Amino acid sequence: MEKIAELFIILILVSVVLNVSSPFIKFAIKLYSFQSLMLAFYILMGAVHFNSINLYGSFAITIIFKVILIPYFLFKTLKKVKMDKEINMYIGIPEAVVFAGSLTLLSNLIAQKIIKTGITFGSFVFTISLATFLIGAMLMITRKTLFSQILGFLTIDNAIFLAANSITHGMPLLVELGVLFDLFVSILILSLLILNLRRNVAS
Amino acid sequence: MHHKLLDLILILPAAALIFSIFTDVLWMSYLQLAISVLVFLTVGVIAVSFNSIAFFLGGFFFVDYINLVILITVSTLELFVAFYSFGYVRSEIAGGVSKRKFKFYYFWKNLFIFSMMVSILSNNLGIYWTGLEATTLATALLVSFNRTKESFEATWKYVIMCSVGIAIGLFAIVILYFTTSQVYGESMRSLSFINIMQAGAKLDKNFLMLSFILALVGFGTKVGFAPMHNWLPDAHSQGPSPVSALLSGVLLNTALLGILRFYQINAAAGIHYPRYFLICFGFLTIFVSAFSIIKQTDYKRLFAFSSMENMGIIALGFGIGGIAVIGSLLQIFFHALNKGLLFLSSGNVLAATHERRIDKIRNLSKNFPITGIVLLFGAMGISGMPPFAMFLGEIYIMTGVFRTDIWLGFLVFILLIFVFIGLFGKVLKMYVGKANTGDEEEGGELKTDGAGASHKAVSEAGLHPFIVYVPLIMLLFSSFLLFYIPYPFLHIIKSAAVEFGGKVNFFK
Repeated sequence: MEKIAELFIILILVSVVLNVSSPFIKFAIKLYSFQSLMLAFYILMGAVHFNSINLYGSFAITIIFKVILIPYFLFKTLKKVKMDKEINMYIGIPEAVVFAGSLTLLSNLIAQKIIKTGITFGSFVFTISLATFLIGAMLMITRKTLFSQILGFLTIDNAIFLAANSITHGMPLLVELGVLFDLFVSILILSLLILNLRRNVAS
Repeated sequence: MHHKLLDLILILPAAALIFSIFTDVLWMSYLQLAISVLVFLTVGVIAVSFNSIAFFLGGFFFVDYINLVILITVSTLELFVAFYSFGYVRSEIAGGVSKRKFKFYYFWKNLFIFSMMVSILSNNLGIYWTGLEATTLATALLVSFNRTKESFEATWKYVIMCSVGIAIGLFAIVILYFTTSQVYGESMRSLSFINIMQAGAKLDKNFLMLSFILALVGFGTKVGFAPMHNWLPDAHSQGPSPVSALLSGVLLNTALLGILRFYQINAAAGIHYPRYFLICFGFLTIFVSAFSIIKQTDYKRLFAFSSMENMGIIALGFGIGGIAVIGSLLQIFFHALNKGLLFLSSGNVLAATHERRIDKIRNLSKNFPITGIVLLFGAMGISGMPPFAMFLGEIYIMTGVFRTDIWLGFLVFILLIFVFIGLFGKVLKMYVGKANTGDEEEGGELKTDGAGASHKAVSEAGLHPFIVYVPLIMLLFSSFLLFYIPYPFLHIIKSAAVEFGGKVNFFK
């Protein structure tokens, strides 16, 4: 059971690193959807294990918002903008991948340090969540296209959700619903802004 | 405590939100006036009769002395902004902007006020977070209200930076939740601020420290603390003037409230060094903004940087403790008032001339007699000069700083002089200066950028009386407050300062 849960969180990290290594935006959105699905499965594992209604609810709303709705709107915006490839990057893909690897190692070190001070939650999940967080931030900084910034932000958000669902059995459902709803609206607004900025640059 | 009245603080803005969907803009401006006056009166009655923490709406919301200070600030500034908007909407519609656009304006503005109220009053840190993020989203489309390329870019930066910042704040709340769930179990109680405070001593200190740092960085992004401030001058200068006033005057304080809550939790657990973090961030913010003010060329950005500087001073005051806390609490209210009047009156100049650059605007004394005076004295007031209320707040903070560390006080003092020179010098040039570029008309006629500016609007005469006189009234009010602060307000400030360990006998 635990091994399967660990597989899911490893796949989250893999999807982020794949995102770093690929310049294709459509693929990146698919990866985000996949990453959220893995997160949802991880939550489901917890829900089965602890038999917690809270986590079942969390699983359902993660599927609805993160796996379906947000990628759907991002695809729709992408279609209107007609962009397929990230061209502007501050550092090249090979360097970025190496950098992502070092960030993972760094978060492992930090996690070990925190575990030593007597904290109970699993160092493995914490490492992955911290690494996802840092790589998401790196994506936002190193890429210039607006879509990549959104995806970086979403990755950061997933990392925090992972942490929330691993150190506790999920936040109270009301709060989690509010957070996801805010996230969803912010994606809508950002898509709107992309369209407007595109139109302004074109004219 | 009047529980019915407490409910009203949330119900009235919600009602305004619903009305703004269905009502015609001109009717809405009357309704908005009525609702803002009602909110102000409700808060006034609560402030006068307030004696202890009161819960309402099922314990999810509460009023204590600290959020009451911010509540009073919001309702006062919102009252002035509602009157200003009344004139603003009329003169913009007369200038050819569509009514539909202003329907959106009222809708988003009311959503912004409502979510801010939810944030301020919530007892639950999760709900606080949701409300704070909702304020970002509600103001995003207001910042891009003018639909220019610059405003869209400013909005982009604003939404991305604040969302990431607040996401870090969410991390802080998650860690806090983990800590408190060991006391209360996994329920809403573990996020309830009052419950967390009660359990303070039992909480894990390492985690609390971690959560405070994350909250400071996360919510600090939204407050505009120095290394994370890049979005602030753009977003605050691009929105319509009433929105800029609300953003600078009260939204920054709402985000600051989050940091203060974490600070209180740490203090309750017996952790005292978060104050050094506040001092560091506060000082750094004053430092960065002072130099940005000096080299600023756009007057709305100038005032945006001044907001940053004041947030730095407020954070510094909370970090120093003692009487500086009283200064900071006073400063929250006075700054909102003073910054509000600056943004509103500079909005008049912008609406009339369509010019953002300081060096293009000269001789306000001739074309904008009242607005010019308000801008001039407002700039004086915002840098803490005597006949205006902010002097009082700043003198308390500076006294506290000097008592704690004379060298820090000296440095801050020098920076404040820089700020004064930057702000007042620039506004003074706008007020009396002669036109300095050859291609403008002689006598310092205001230059307009052609297409955007209508002919009648290059002077104050064409403006609605409300938008000319509301900033003036705010200025007079600010001056009045220096000499007489109503006793209930003073009592609230003193009691709020006690919760931060401030000295109270200073007033007696």
